[in-house]
Amino acid sequence: MRTVWAAVLSVWALFAVVAFLAWTRQQPTPATSPQSVPGAVIVKGKNGTSRLVVVPGASAATTHATTRTSPVPAG
Amino acid sequence: MPVAWLIARAAGLVALALLTVSVTLGLMVSTKLLKPRWQKSLFGWHQTLIWTALAMLVLHGTAILLDPVMRFGLTAVVLPGAAPWRPVTVAAGIVAGYLMLALAISFRARRRIGQRRWRLLHYGSFPAFALALGHALHAGTDLTGTTGLVFAAIALAPVLWLTFARILMPRPKRVPSSPAGRRVVATERAAVPPEQPRSGALTA
Repeated sequence: MRTVWAAVLSVWALFAVVAFLAWTRQQPTPATSPQSVPGAVIVKGKNGTSRLVVVPGASAATTHATTRTSPVPAG
Repeated sequence: MPVAWLIARAAGLVALALLTVSVTLGLMVSTKLLKPRWQKSLFGWHQTLIWTALAMLVLHGTAILLDPVMRFGLTAVVLPGAAPWRPVTVAAGIVAGYLMLALAISFRARRRIGQRRWRLLHYGSFPAFALALGHALHAGTDLTGTTGLVFAAIALAPVLWLTFARILMPRPKRVPSSPAGRRVVATERAAVPPEQPRSGALTA
């Protein structure tokens, strides 16, 4: 009976810890990052002239949701 | 959702908690701080929890094997020092697991190996606990920073306190109730000369 109690309590503890770890799992970084900076590209025209075009900033730290698998251990 | 990774971490944490409780109960039995009627029950739980901790340890290892990111092979999980990531601290965890297995088996083989050898083998519970805690703190990804310190303090406090109590408290003379126990004590007394009293052994 003691073994049964120990097994049941351990499995519940396991489920509780799994749930807690899943809940506290780090979410992907939001797309709207305050660190986004504008960039510039050189565009060549039809007559061979080049002109500089400023493009709106995009966050380099944005992570695609599908690229996230298991978290890599810290260290 | 990385299920294998979550189960590996959770099973490791539960195994450490069970080992801590088992070691604490063993020290409580050893120090005889509680009433004699509680001793038998505590000793039973002490045995049961080490086997439960081992079951969690098997789950911990299996989940790490199945995790697609860690890429730990069977050799890395069962052979100390063969892990590709933090080999020393992972080896500490593996050695702690083997020590726990030896201790759990020793409960079953207590009559066969004798009380003295069983007690000597039981000293292994201290390095097993220390290695498991070190493994959790350094190889684990959850017990880092302040959280790790808090958990380590919670796990260490009762074990250290009871260990010091066990060392410093005078050991009462045991009077075994069973005829087999009386024979063991009689044999031990005959083996030790009266002018060299046996020092109190420490059991966890």
